[in-house]
Amino acid sequence: MKIVRYVSIRPDAAWLNGVPVPVESKGLALLTDLYRLHVKDYPKFFKMDLLSKLGVVATELLVEDEPGRFDPREDRAVLLFSRTGPLCNDRNYQHTIAEGEYFPSPALFVYTLANIVTGEIAIRNKYAGDTTAYELSSFSPEHFVAAVRAAFDDRITTSAICGWAEAPDPDHFEAFMMLVQQDAPDGLPFCEETLRQINPNLR
Amino acid sequence: MEELIKNLKLQIIEALNLEGMTPDQIDDNAPLFGDGLGLDSIDVLELIVLMEKNYGIRLTSPAEGKQVFQSVAVMADYIAKNRKK
Amino acid sequence: MSKPRVIALSGNIVSPLGLTARENFLAVVEGRSGVAPHRETFGIPEPFAASLFDRKAVFSEAASQGVSGYNLFETILILSIRDAVQRAGIDPASSRVAFVISSIKGNVEALSEEEERVPVSVSADRVAAFFGQPNPPLVVSNACISGLTALIHARRMLLCGQCDQVVVAGAEVQSRFIVSGFQSLKALSPEPCKPFDAARKGLNLGEAAATMILSRTDAVAAGQWELVDGATRNDANHISGPSRTGEGSYNALRYVLPACTVEELAFVNVHGTSTPYNDEMESIALNRAGLSQVPVNALKGVFGHTMGAAGILESLVSMQAVDAGVVPGTMGFEELGVSCPVNVSRENRPTDKRAFIKLLSGFGGCNAAMLFRKGGAR
Repeated sequence: MKIVRYVSIRPDAAWLNGVPVPVESKGLALLTDLYRLHVKDYPKFFKMDLLSKLGVVATELLVEDEPGRFDPREDRAVLLFSRTGPLCNDRNYQHTIAEGEYFPSPALFVYTLANIVTGEIAIRNKYAGDTTAYELSSFSPEHFVAAVRAAFDDRITTSAICGWAEAPDPDHFEAFMMLVQQDAPDGLPFCEETLRQINPNLR
Repeated sequence: MEELIKNLKLQIIEALNLEGMTPDQIDDNAPLFGDGLGLDSIDVLELIVLMEKNYGIRLTSPAEGKQVFQSVAVMADYIAKNRKK
Repeated sequence: MSKPRVIALSGNIVSPLGLTARENFLAVVEGRSGVAPHRETFGIPEPFAASLFDRKAVFSEAASQGVSGYNLFETILILSIRDAVQRAGIDPASSRVAFVISSIKGNVEALSEEEERVPVSVSADRVAAFFGQPNPPLVVSNACISGLTALIHARRMLLCGQCDQVVVAGAEVQSRFIVSGFQSLKALSPEPCKPFDAARKGLNLGEAAATMILSRTDAVAAGQWELVDGATRNDANHISGPSRTGEGSYNALRYVLPACTVEELAFVNVHGTSTPYNDEMESIALNRAGLSQVPVNALKGVFGHTMGAAGILESLVSMQAVDAGVVPGTMGFEELGVSCPVNVSRENRPTDKRAFIKLLSGFGGCNAAMLFRKGGAR
């Protein structure tokens, strides 16, 4: 298993394969900028919660140059890990069910499910394979690698968009995601050591 | 009526996160669903909330909603006749 | 060397209908339901029907077992896991054991109060710590299919040799947050649900915890339950509406079907939420997979939709049903109301078969199927 490409997005910057991705804004506006520069025409983006926006934009950076990228495929999984999942949107939804101002929002409620981000990535990119949202109380490269390896024990899966996506509020978010392939000629070995090398936060 | 239609368009744009869209860009008589604004099933439900929150009108089912949400003009007409606030 | 296989060592269900898998199975065959009408519960203006715990009774039962200081979500998980672990006779504190926990919203209830909401991952840590488990528990939060995805993942961990046994436990606690959300989606029925029925109006929510202890083995003995194969697949279509062609559900079924014959299936225990779209979609997926003749049943009329617990709970009931030679009836069903033929019945039916498929679908477009088979002569 090889890491073919990897991406990091934080409120102040984004990197693809360790190289800064040109973007001027900060915070939530950084995600919107990346959307305008890379995703371009997908108005549904503006209906998404913070976690889904982060996941969709990060995936775009990973696969935008891939040949045949919008061909429907069942062999690609989406396996995302988080500590708090959609917590930010939980608060937004909570405001719509307050005493005295009770108008529950269906659009906000849907995004309170932790796996909607994996579904949005699957819909955008036509991935009909395994999609799973996992949660760990802290990002452990060891347990992340083990879980992804176990998920690859699927007769159809040959590659996966996987990684860590954490978005507790619009000023604090982090995506560390990668495209992992079963039989890639080039790339970095998919293991704990590589993850520590390519993500300084893990050292 | 003109005022109601303009406000309604602003409320729809906000409720459905129609980024970059202005009231002038929504035709009063164009269908809201299907080819029109490309709205989907969750948008129908969100419009049901909009009707209750802003006009005190309770629509019980998405099917009933779709009748009312044919276009902004149909919606405004329904609101004018049924509004409770 | 023979290929490793995965079996279930034991199971538990904690629901408003009982504190063991056996008590809950008896409720199913005897036609008892936990679903009751609710008015003003959680301060929600519109009435709804749901299967909810008597909270005081749960906490006092837990206290009598020496479990206190945990929220409701953690408490039912601990009660369920403890019973299953004792029955399996495994050491939950072993480093060769792993914990996989499934839930959609954990104790989201706390968001409305001043106390900090505990993420599911943190609740899972507390529960694992109660049992002295040294490895960080892995949480699976895959909407309504969470429990089945947890079983699928745990099975793969065992096949990869990452551990020797896995405690797979799922739980869901209902709240103003979840009930109002499903109401806003117009997905709830104010009356007891009617899976696959022409007059179905929506689902009922339910509370429960369920645990299955899995183990790796080289050979499946007579009477042991094997988790033969399973997969999760996405519709890649819409985040809240199921595919009109049952795409992901069909693909999940197609993944597990080569490992069995249609003739050996006692039944398919479907999702059967009783929403107009879900049951229709499942009828299409079953038809496409060539399963229209196989008996089908749904348990939502008994337990409601127990969300993160459903995949484990409904699999455990199905295992006991096959053990007892019964295809459980589908409570609430009267007249078929889906476009493709489905072999569903309100009454319990006899069976002498030894395998079943568990099927689930959920928001985010995800679907899962798992094939279970009992060892021994067929």
